[in-house]
Amino acid sequence: MRTVTEQGFFSPQWAAAVRDALAAGPSEQERDGKLPMYWDFFDKVKAGYASSWALGCRDLPAGTDAGPAFLHVQWGGGTVTDCYIAGPAERQATYVLAMDYADWQALHGGYDPQRTVMYRKILVEDGNVLEFFKGIYFFTECLGVIGKVPADFTALAAH
Amino acid sequence: MTERKSPTAVLREGPRALSDEQVREIEEADLKGVLDVDIDDVIEYVHKDLKSLPDFTTLYRKYLKQRWDVYDLDFTQDKIDWTERMTEAERHSFLAIASGFHHGERQVEIELPVFMIGASEEEKLHIAAQIEDEARHTVFFDRFYREVVGLQGADIMDILDASFPWVAETFVGPFGLLAYQADEVRKNPYDERARVRYGTTYFLWIEGVLALSVMKVTLSYARWRGFLPAYYTGFTATCRDESRHVQGGMKYLQDAVRKDPSMVNEIHETLRTILTLAGVASREVVYEPLGWSQDEVKMLFNQQLRRKLNDVGISLPPDLLAMVGAVQPVLAGG
Repeated sequence: MRTVTEQGFFSPQWAAAVRDALAAGPSEQERDGKLPMYWDFFDKVKAGYASSWALGCRDLPAGTDAGPAFLHVQWGGGTVTDCYIAGPAERQATYVLAMDYADWQALHGGYDPQRTVMYRKILVEDGNVLEFFKGIYFFTECLGVIGKVPADFTALAAH
Repeated sequence: MTERKSPTAVLREGPRALSDEQVREIEEADLKGVLDVDIDDVIEYVHKDLKSLPDFTTLYRKYLKQRWDVYDLDFTQDKIDWTERMTEAERHSFLAIASGFHHGERQVEIELPVFMIGASEEEKLHIAAQIEDEARHTVFFDRFYREVVGLQGADIMDILDASFPWVAETFVGPFGLLAYQADEVRKNPYDERARVRYGTTYFLWIEGVLALSVMKVTLSYARWRGFLPAYYTGFTATCRDESRHVQGGMKYLQDAVRKDPSMVNEIHETLRTILTLAGVASREVVYEPLGWSQDEVKMLFNQQLRRKLNDVGISLPPDLLAMVGAVQPVLAGG
């Protein structure tokens, strides 16, 4: 179930919407544009994925309700088992990644997730790079899904 | 360009022996002379010295002699060929293949400087030259896409943006990995294990396998059809540059393994990730308009990988050998 309401970026409500969107996966329209072999690989990775991501925003404007720093996503059993906003003290995850606030905004504005990785806008700060990349197609598709979850940046922009 | 042999003929010919005269022709040809050089000979030339790899100073001296001016190319005839002589199907296949190289050249240009920090002084000369080569290749593709394909933009990134829709989703596999490995090297420039992992992705896979395969497919098409003379000239000169890059990269990996045999584990682990990703395609590329079939391109990939590993003396464990057989062509390079 996808929300159509814009939740504050990095708010608990937004994290809940991200959880639902990731569990649902890419839309049929997205799937139609790529070969079945690619989605078979995606589905296989998703089914067996038991890692967690801490997706950070390095320079999130201060003054938000949650005072967040990381979107924590835990995978297991082919779905998202936990998804919440965590502070800097809770950055433990299999893979800790981070990007700047402006790049998060760009991702939500439609910037390509593949280039978000390739141009090092998001980087692995902690975790095994070779293991992480075995699931990179899964990750970039999920990044695209996250970018499509409506997010309200106006509250943050005021700070 | 008088020869009109099939683009895929070399797959069945096997490795060819280059005469001293042919080697001299490849090494000493100026930009105009490159038009007459057979791309299959240049690809063979890449492998010629892999068993007895030249030192970095020799590679740097070759660079000084082989450097060419990308602004000397005249794309006037290419534009005519593109718009009036090539079919829509040929143009479509060509772009589906060449766009990975357009972006790949940019990627290998910007990811290389960090590798220089931990290199020997002689290797630094070679890497500095290679960075300049890659910058020139980036300009070559920028000019081709502007002046021949007809893309418009105010700067290099505009043209990259415009060609990106032709790049397959699987491009992020090798090139995203390279970016992240470059970041590992940036953080720890003297970490030899991180450098070997980086070198495996950059020199062995991207340059040694992907790049040479893309070069072969598009250049043999251009030669076969007698089209795109400036593309053929510039990209064949690029292939000659790549020979130095591949030889330098293989020398680095070979020296690293000789110094510490356990480094082969880093090569294997990196290949394990790369080959996991290389078994997947996101788009169907139609090669037939360029004279190739999917199976022939796969065969080309396999040949390129096996030759590099054999020549440098790196064997693969059974699980990796099985993965090599499942590789799907990722048409990109740098």
